[in-house]
Amino acid sequence: MENAVNLNVNPCKMCVPLGSVTALYGIARCMSILHGSQGCSTYIRRHMATHYNEPVDIASSSLTEEGTVFGGEKNLLSGLENLIRLYSPEVIGVSTTCLAETIGEDIPGIIKKFYELHPECTAEIIPVSSPSYAGTHFDGFFRATRAVVENVSMDIRKNNKVNIVTGMISPADTRYLKHLLNMMQIDYILLPDISDNLDGVHVEKYDRLPKGGTSLSDIKKMAGAKYTIELSTFNNDDFSPAVYLQQQYGVPYCRLDLPIGIKATDALINKLKELGGMIPEELQKERGRCLDAMIDSHKYNAMGKAAIFGEPDIVAGVVNICCENGVIPVVCATGSVCHAFDKKLREKVEKTAKVQFVEKIRIKDDADFTEIENCVIECEANIMIGSGDGYRIEERTDIPLLRCTFPIHDRVGGQRVRLLGYDGAMRMLDNIANTLLAKLEGSYRQNLYDKYFRPENESTTVKLSADNIVDINQRQVLKEKTLRHPCYTCGSGQYARIHLPIAPKCNIQCNYCIRKYDCPNESRPGVTTEILSPQEAFEKYMLVKKRLPNLTVAGIAGPGDALANFEQTRQTLYLIRQADPTVTFCLSTNGLMLPQYAQEIIDLGVTHVTVTLNAVDPEIGAKIYKHIDYMGQRYTGISGAGILLGNQLNGIRYLTRHGVICKINIVMLKGINEEHIVAVVKKAKELGCEITNIMQLIPVKGSAFENMPLVSNKEIMDMRKKCGLYMKQMYHCRQCRADAIGTLGNDLSIEYRNISAAKEKPARNSPYRFAAASKSGMIIDCHFGQTEEFYIYESDGIDLRFIEKRNVEKYCLGKENCGNKTDKIEKIIITIKDCTAVIALRIGEVPRQRLKNVGIEVITTYDRIENAVKKAAESKNAANEVWNTAL
Amino acid sequence: MQVMGEEILEVRKKSIMVKTLGCSSTGIECDKASVSGSVSQRACVYCGARVVLNPITDAFHIVHGPIGCASYTWDIRGSLSSGSDLYRNSFSTDLREKDIIFGGAAKLTAAIDEVVQKYQAKLIFVYATCIVGVIGDDVEAVCTAAEKKYKIRVIAVKAPGFSGTKRQGYKLACDAMMRLIRPYQLSKDTLHHGVNILGDFNLAGEIWLIKNYFKKIGIEVISTFTGDASYEKLIKAPSAALNIVQCAGSSMYLAKLMEEEFGIPYMKVSFFGIEDTSASIMRVAQMLGDAGVVEKAVNLTKRESCRLRSFMEKYRPYLAGKKAAIYVGGGFKAISLIRQFNEMGIETVVVGTQTGKKDEYEVIQSIVNDDTVILDDANPAELEFFMKQKKADILVGGVKERPLAYKLGIAFCDHNHERKHALGGYEGVENFTKEINLSINSPVWECMTAI
Repeated sequence: MENAVNLNVNPCKMCVPLGSVTALYGIARCMSILHGSQGCSTYIRRHMATHYNEPVDIASSSLTEEGTVFGGEKNLLSGLENLIRLYSPEVIGVSTTCLAETIGEDIPGIIKKFYELHPECTAEIIPVSSPSYAGTHFDGFFRATRAVVENVSMDIRKNNKVNIVTGMISPADTRYLKHLLNMMQIDYILLPDISDNLDGVHVEKYDRLPKGGTSLSDIKKMAGAKYTIELSTFNNDDFSPAVYLQQQYGVPYCRLDLPIGIKATDALINKLKELGGMIPEELQKERGRCLDAMIDSHKYNAMGKAAIFGEPDIVAGVVNICCENGVIPVVCATGSVCHAFDKKLREKVEKTAKVQFVEKIRIKDDADFTEIENCVIECEANIMIGSGDGYRIEERTDIPLLRCTFPIHDRVGGQRVRLLGYDGAMRMLDNIANTLLAKLEGSYRQNLYDKYFRPENESTTVKLSADNIVDINQRQVLKEKTLRHPCYTCGSGQYARIHLPIAPKCNIQCNYCIRKYDCPNESRPGVTTEILSPQEAFEKYMLVKKRLPNLTVAGIAGPGDALANFEQTRQTLYLIRQADPTVTFCLSTNGLMLPQYAQEIIDLGVTHVTVTLNAVDPEIGAKIYKHIDYMGQRYTGISGAGILLGNQLNGIRYLTRHGVICKINIVMLKGINEEHIVAVVKKAKELGCEITNIMQLIPVKGSAFENMPLVSNKEIMDMRKKCGLYMKQMYHCRQCRADAIGTLGNDLSIEYRNISAAKEKPARNSPYRFAAASKSGMIIDCHFGQTEEFYIYESDGIDLRFIEKRNVEKYCLGKENCGNKTDKIEKIIITIKDCTAVIALRIGEVPRQRLKNVGIEVITTYDRIENAVKKAAESKNAANEVWNTAL
Repeated sequence: MQVMGEEILEVRKKSIMVKTLGCSSTGIECDKASVSGSVSQRACVYCGARVVLNPITDAFHIVHGPIGCASYTWDIRGSLSSGSDLYRNSFSTDLREKDIIFGGAAKLTAAIDEVVQKYQAKLIFVYATCIVGVIGDDVEAVCTAAEKKYKIRVIAVKAPGFSGTKRQGYKLACDAMMRLIRPYQLSKDTLHHGVNILGDFNLAGEIWLIKNYFKKIGIEVISTFTGDASYEKLIKAPSAALNIVQCAGSSMYLAKLMEEEFGIPYMKVSFFGIEDTSASIMRVAQMLGDAGVVEKAVNLTKRESCRLRSFMEKYRPYLAGKKAAIYVGGGFKAISLIRQFNEMGIETVVVGTQTGKKDEYEVIQSIVNDDTVILDDANPAELEFFMKQKKADILVGGVKERPLAYKLGIAFCDHNHERKHALGGYEGVENFTKEINLSINSPVWECMTAI
């Protein structure tokens, strides 16, 4: 698909509120409410729940039409009350949506009002302005953390802590970061901390408001901290908690890249060391191990041309990992609008690319997946690293995708993705190397064979039988089937076949063929008296099968080409296979459409295929075929014959490799292919065919070859003998009609012409008619007086038959003029007047009486409709019997 | 009546009932807007419209609004296609701050122009989300102008999330489909034939399964709404002789419109469970087919029922006596599930839906045992409370409910629109039974203990 200019096609971003609530999940005992439509919270919950595999509870103010017009204050106030009751949170985040922002809701004002109305409320309520149109989930995350530090009342007393502010990293990465800080003995406050809340543990007692996350008391101390490190490359100053803390409380800060990759991790560790942190031996070892791994895999990773996409910070981090190890990030993209993106990445990326003289590099912000896909193809990326939403590109291009950032919906473990630190880099590099290796190991033998061996040995492409995809049992079955196939068993009169004339169209024009004739007394290929539909063919087959127990083969031999009428062929074979699992299916074709349908033919259970292959040289073919129609195009001459030949050879090879018994028909044409037939037979042998059948031309009036000299029987027999040196020959061909029935020696098709497979109907007792009252349409679940629809059935106690569904209102109006005065019961009675009895869940005494007056019985039951009707009819029968006996 | 816990909000109690002996006169409150702050599991009007129309495979679905709504519904359903896969893309006007100020109509017009010129679109649905009306875009006018300009169908679906529940969205989708097919109404004396399938979205190929049944018995399927549908196939719908309605919640309204305007009768069917599937096939055969068709239908349903009975017998001892909780989108699905559980010997102890209707709740009430808890538009707190109280062994639900069940140590069956295996038809019976068994009898539950 081309890049779009005026619209986003497959977004590489989510909306601002999603980022906001994700960040708030990292605050201890915090519950979020979205001020907007109900759908926003549900969609975001679903998106997060499938990524993190955790319950995600987000309330909504469920704005309605009224709220939109007159303001949503009422909704938000009661929403806050309800969520406090359900979750007892200590912190509440009120995030806006596009709707709340557009109608101009004053969130701080509403919160103030809430505190006035509820002086007992101790929860800290934080307004987060998060309009969906003002950025992406990446921005939303920081908007929320910024709102948290802006709104929590701070304790400005100095302490010795270091504030660590992160962006949207995984719970597992958050845990790693905490581990690192602990290892270095840093006294820190981490904001936010989603490590437990979005990757929870299984405990006996579930707490719907998870306990982990940054505590309110810690957040209060952030104003007195000695330093802030904000781990984000691209966050805007307006949404930076670090900038705010500096401006408001004078806490010095620095902004570092997320510690992804060696250098970025080094930078963080050095900064922490400056702030008094220790570098323990364990950490040294971790770094050393990562370096070791990098050297181990650098040559494999140099095969990698990566497309990296996701949130800008994560992309920057993964680019670090790649560049440090020689993976070339040929595509770097983010869905966010991010002006610094290109500037920050380009130098690094180009330097890495230059090593292998790769020039085509694409770095894009504000990108959608259509653009990314086009870049991936253009830059010939061979691995993708990014959010799970790249799955569509993976599906289409078969380029593997390493899912490493939000959202991941089609794999498990989104919450445990690891990128941070030396350890994270090492894991990612192993992953990249292994993905590239898997591809290499799985393909290099074939690739090298194709590249070096095949061109030199083009003519000897005979595949060893070991390659055939057929097991021994299947072979045995095939052998038996072949023994019962009259064409393969020397004309033995024992077995019969039926040719079903369902395929009128042909997609090639042979110069010896004409299918206009409709002569019942002529017998040659392409002739039939009638064309059957698949259903008729099926019925005919069943009829013949009943009368001819020795019928073992059902074949499709035109009158056109079986594959040019594939839908009919498919349906016919399918219907017959359902009814007769043992019949042998045989099909004849010119082979033009074989490559397309070979597998489907096999799936349908066809075991024997005959292909007419008159030449294996397009120049000779061009003399035999006037034209072919292929993929909506007509081809003549050598190009037509060439296409036909290519398809025939590929198709036959496919069939024989999958165990299908193939017969090759060759029409011997004097002066055209007689010298060439041996070559055809040799080719047939090479393709793994079973038998060849060299036939005489039957000159047909009106065909291009009508005046061609006849081939004598002796000439044919000589040719067969000559070819018999190479391959088994068929000596008993009768060149059958397209609707032949019976054994080869005895065509019975005339007997079966135009016989419709009429079936006798068993005599039935006159059935009773019932009206079943049902709402669900499946069970008797309805009170008589409330019934709007009746299901009308007839049953004689043995069989039952659904007649129709009657709607009381409609039926009544349609049949008789009920008038407005007519009461409901009256209407029902009109609707079901023709019934013996009505079956309902319950019925009142008055209507029961009224029904009785008009002679309709009442049966009350709770059952499936079908069961109830049958039982009712049975009991009617029994009652009648008693009555009759008494008489 | 059971004691409702602390965690049940006062306003929600009207939408929760416990089946008691005999008949409850009051009934359940349903089909209302969700309670603010209650953490409803429901989506919105837009969602309702989108999920119903999305499976139309060769349509352009353009979401007019900020990016979120398009993001969250991109390729959301496991609806399969035998033709185009256009519907698996997400198109959005991706409104930004300046569009909110100056209006987004021009952007929408440009988007439609581009789609038509670049991709030769024939059918476009334009979904207007929450703020489109608020910022004053006249989506209807833009769409009409585009229809005129390009002589193609551009249908506006005005579905701001706040304008009702998901159910209103279904209705909007049905209206949109009627706008699409109305011009193709047959003249009065033309013969109708074959059947349309309504309310099946071809999740995991279910519509193909059902079409195969009809093919086997010789009933032609004309059109499908909307699983594996295409523009060309949809406009043939008015020529059908019968509409069968699977997901009644989403498509009954369409069936009624088609009955009124085209005179096509409709019939509710269900392809969940052996008996429902057989009954549905038989009814269609008897209504539309001759003796030959009925005979084939009898053979088919008998053969399949027979095969499945012995299949079920194998599983039954491992399932009988277990207790199930159900929380799904519509009432009809819930009813089908209760009956399927009955076939397995599993008792349903909690059952709820997001958008069930009053009459569906009445049916539910009539088929569950006493003391079963019935909920409309439940929230996680209520589900947790009642699943624990009723000691459910398994929950059947959607994506959002799954982690909750797992946290509570309860088995789970995914009956959502993303599923990758068919749960409908005879094949679905096997899949469903296997899935219930493998989760309920999984060894993991034995490990869930403290050290």
